[in-house]
Amino acid sequence: MSAENKPLPIIEVVNLKKSFGRIQALKGVSFSIGKGEIVGFLGPNGAGKSTTLRILSGLIPADAGEAKVCGVDLAQEEGLVRNHIGYLPENNPLPEDLRVIEYLRFRALLKGLEGSRLKERIKVVLDICDLERKISERKIGNLSKGYRQRVGIADSLLAEPRLVILDEPTIGLDPHQSAVTRKMMERLRGEVSFLLSSHILSEVEACCDRMIILSHGQIVAEGSLYELQKRFVNKTIFQIDASGNKIDIQKRIRSIDRTCELIQDDPVEVSGKRRYNFSTEQGEQIAERIIRTLLEEKNIRISGFQIRRPDLETIFLRATKKNWEKHDFLNRNKI
Amino acid sequence: MKSFYTILRYEIFALFISPSTYVAAFYFLSLLAIGFRFFIETFTNTDWLLPPLSSLVVGLLFGSPALIPFITMRCFAEERRLGTLETLFSAPVSSWTLVLGKWFGCFVFFLIISTLALCYPLLLIIMFPEQGSNLGFNEIENWIGSTLYLLIFGASFIAIGVFSSSITKNQMVAGMLTFTLLTAYLSIMVFSFGNETSNTYYTISQKLSDGLFGTYINGLDKFGQFSVGLIDLSTILNQLVLTSFFLILSTIQIERLNN
Repeated sequence: MSAENKPLPIIEVVNLKKSFGRIQALKGVSFSIGKGEIVGFLGPNGAGKSTTLRILSGLIPADAGEAKVCGVDLAQEEGLVRNHIGYLPENNPLPEDLRVIEYLRFRALLKGLEGSRLKERIKVVLDICDLERKISERKIGNLSKGYRQRVGIADSLLAEPRLVILDEPTIGLDPHQSAVTRKMMERLRGEVSFLLSSHILSEVEACCDRMIILSHGQIVAEGSLYELQKRFVNKTIFQIDASGNKIDIQKRIRSIDRTCELIQDDPVEVSGKRRYNFSTEQGEQIAERIIRTLLEEKNIRISGFQIRRPDLETIFLRATKKNWEKHDFLNRNKI
Repeated sequence: MKSFYTILRYEIFALFISPSTYVAAFYFLSLLAIGFRFFIETFTNTDWLLPPLSSLVVGLLFGSPALIPFITMRCFAEERRLGTLETLFSAPVSSWTLVLGKWFGCFVFFLIISTLALCYPLLLIIMFPEQGSNLGFNEIENWIGSTLYLLIFGASFIAIGVFSSSITKNQMVAGMLTFTLLTAYLSIMVFSFGNETSNTYYTISQKLSDGLFGTYINGLDKFGQFSVGLIDLSTILNQLVLTSFFLILSTIQIERLNN
């Protein structure tokens, strides 16, 4: 396909900046999302994810930069973008005293749907989000968190949007409810573009085509899981379950392999043992020597050793670590 | 315009499913009915110079600090508490449409209560035509003037309530603020009652100028004219300006919250 015939991206962001008082929430973010893509937006708390999503939804203006959503320039026609997108805000606030069906009807009318199309769309979104008739007649205030989240997602899909922006759609949901959200996205894959922010990395890993990792208002990584694995963790990962002093373990391992690094500063507790993740440039062949050395050590008891493929969590920690250390609480570079 | 009607319908619906508005309306209308009956019974012994219908309008006006907070307190405060304002703005709705829709919804509810209150003299004239006409309840100009007076003051009072609701997340605080502002405004009008300088207007532009920039505190002095069917343009303009002022303030506040 030639450059002239190439379809316009659904989202095109160039050098987007936003400050709240002295805090720089976004420091020149640039990315684009194509039609039908499912993109995960990751980042630690305060990274600027929600700010970016709110700008793209036309809720708040950016201070500088360019942003085009569904071909609409946000700087010029901020309000117009709301006709093309579905947006689920963080915490999904809903009016408690309305019934699900009443709320969806109200939202559909606000989004310009009417008559038979309104009825048909409500029926479709109730089906997509697995909201059976009995639930749709209930008051929103009496619904569980999972069902409330489904109502929010149903609302975002009402006007057949080309882009759906979901801010933390699976936060606080049990695995069954999260699976419903995943299923919904799978069902619409290719037709609708999704941009979702989440802290649940396994969720993003399972359903997103591509990830964008944001830290302190800057994009620190972007690409598919494979690309990120190649870029950030081209090293071999050893997962060691052991009881013993962290410094002792680290010292023993580094005496054999100087390139070996502890990925997380604080090891995870797993059934009374601590789980350490080390990365090395030496490859898998060093594993045997490490195990032997650790087994010889009296103060260290090894209960598990595994050579692991780096997951999104490892990539996430890697990608955000350097950036995290470089900034103060106002998101400014430390001198 | 379509989103205005949608918000208006939603607001009226929300008011109809809220128990607090029913409780407030019931007590308000009951007390008003008792007061009206007492007034009609003792009317001949009082030195009330205006038509008896005006007593009901005065009752509605001075009772509004107790009624309007219940109608307006939830409109933005509740949205802010629940965070649904952000959800509302994710649809193609402007702040101005939202404020106007909510204000009009509350105003319609106020109109319903006022209409129910105005049914008292209407019932009287249907059931007892002779006594009704003796009391002047059959004079259409009294009805037009009094109703118009009630509408313009109701509109500005509701706008004050909507503004109060937009500046806090707490419904109780919004209600108390509306009560305080309305009581203060009515008190100022009561204290300045009878102090009106007799202006003579020679041109319509002078009248308009007084309506826009003139005194806002002589509203009660004008009631005498309205109650006998004499419509005072400057009072109408005063209240329209006041309504617009508070609606603009509410819009600015909502825009500010959104950013």
